[in-house]
Amino acid sequence: MDNLLTDLGQALVEGSLSDEDLLARTGGPAPVQILPEANVIKIGGQSFIDRGRVAVFPLIDEIVANLGRHKMILGTGAGTRARHAYSVGLDLGMPTGVLSVLGTFVSMQNARMLNYLLAKHGIPFIEPAQFAQLPLYLAERGAVIFFGMPPYVYWQQNPAVGRIPPHRTDTGSYLVSEVLGARSMIYVKDVDGLYTADPKKDRGARFIPRITVSELRAMDLQDVVVERAVLDMMENAQHRRTIQVINGLVPGNLTRALEGEPVGTIITSDEERP
Amino acid sequence: MTETGNAYHVRSLLMRESLLDRQVERSTEGAVFRMLPDAHVLKIGGRSIMDAGRGVVYPVVDVLADCLKTWKLILGTGGGVRTRHVFSIGIDLGLPTGVLAQVAAADALGNAHMLGTLLSPYGVVAIPPEIFGHLLPLFIHSAPGVVFSGVPPYSLWEHPPGVGRIPPHRTDAGAFLLAECFGCRSLTLVKDVDGLYTADPKLDPSAELIPEIDVAELRQRGLPTLPFEPVLLDLLENARLLDRFQIVNGRDPGRIREALEGRHVGTIVHRRR
Repeated sequence: MDNLLTDLGQALVEGSLSDEDLLARTGGPAPVQILPEANVIKIGGQSFIDRGRVAVFPLIDEIVANLGRHKMILGTGAGTRARHAYSVGLDLGMPTGVLSVLGTFVSMQNARMLNYLLAKHGIPFIEPAQFAQLPLYLAERGAVIFFGMPPYVYWQQNPAVGRIPPHRTDTGSYLVSEVLGARSMIYVKDVDGLYTADPKKDRGARFIPRITVSELRAMDLQDVVVERAVLDMMENAQHRRTIQVINGLVPGNLTRALEGEPVGTIITSDEERP
Repeated sequence: MTETGNAYHVRSLLMRESLLDRQVERSTEGAVFRMLPDAHVLKIGGRSIMDAGRGVVYPVVDVLADCLKTWKLILGTGGGVRTRHVFSIGIDLGLPTGVLAQVAAADALGNAHMLGTLLSPYGVVAIPPEIFGHLLPLFIHSAPGVVFSGVPPYSLWEHPPGVGRIPPHRTDAGAFLLAECFGCRSLTLVKDVDGLYTADPKLDPSAELIPEIDVAELRQRGLPTLPFEPVLLDLLENARLLDRFQIVNGRDPGRIREALEGRHVGTIVHRRR
């Protein structure tokens, strides 16, 4: 009889999935890039959408101008209403998993609003259950919108400190770019990128155009520009080992970032690949 | 509503704060409400119990049916051999971790439906994952228990692991995270070994049972294999409500009942001893 299982298959069926020697055999062949031409763009909640039309309309125009030139998977942040919901929820003793549900609702509101602004271009909003249709929409219309929160809801892990869900819209968007083997991961915010301190609070803050994940860790910043979980995941990533944070309030920045130009802060784990 | 720097904020404690600021993070610590403090979560092993067939599963079902007279049970199932198989095919086809997590969910769900079928005379069925979390308190109030696929809804959003490509959050993690979020009374992992050993007891007859240990001690020992998903150590370390879980041998199914009674019949892993 022919072997129905590969050697690896046999080892997985019989062995322990906690055995590092076995796990080390599960790395290859290298994973395919599912959507290598797609760019994942996360549009900030507090840092962008909460600014209203002054910020959002020019960005919408820039997204539309790039239709046909770049494929875009647009994720949304949550923002000030999530902070309000988290504040109320924390006071009421909500566990992290329930706060994750609340954050999802807010990033979904933002996704729906952007969806209506882009609707006349035939761009759909998809929920996680509709991701199987994403390739069709992207091929036909060139862009889709999703809510940035990962769909962990009650299964969101506790953070080491506090109770705010550690995996929010930066992480959810990042994981979409990683699993799809996308061309880029661009975070659209209201700051030029990473600073040595929060530039909104500290005038002495210095801008950092490019940095590695380990350098960033070594700086041990009180505050960082993307969720810390993204940095952890970048080190384990198969594909997306570089991200860029850009200031979307500056016209043209998104287009230049889509063209592959450095216009904000580039964070990379490439140098650390074993 | 207040306007600052052209952004419109809703007034709240976290207004205008960076949620990435360590000091802000610390300020969000506090007592957590328990949604289902009387329910017990059990994870019924895939390969260790469900795949072992009638001779193993039926006695487990008999014990569970008996326990359902006393306690509310939330029963998660593992994916077992079929999940191992789909991992091996998916890896061979070059599919990434998130896709492996997404496709593997079907195997544990199949096992949930089999366990739900066997428990249906007692009013316990498998609940579709799409509604399970939100409706869980209603089900627990209305029925003696529920069955769910232990798989957490990570799917395409599964984290890339440090080594290899197997999804790190599988059904042990799904059961743990559920028990923690809902503030359940206990988490019991039903497997085919008496607990945690100094080595794999199936391969090394001199392996010794470790009846009790905590996360720090377990990390220090650096055991080559564990009878549960290693990510549980991280999850337990950060847990606010669960302070332990117990691994029991379902091949001696009376131990399941004893574990629910709060007795020490396998290995207890503590958050901190």
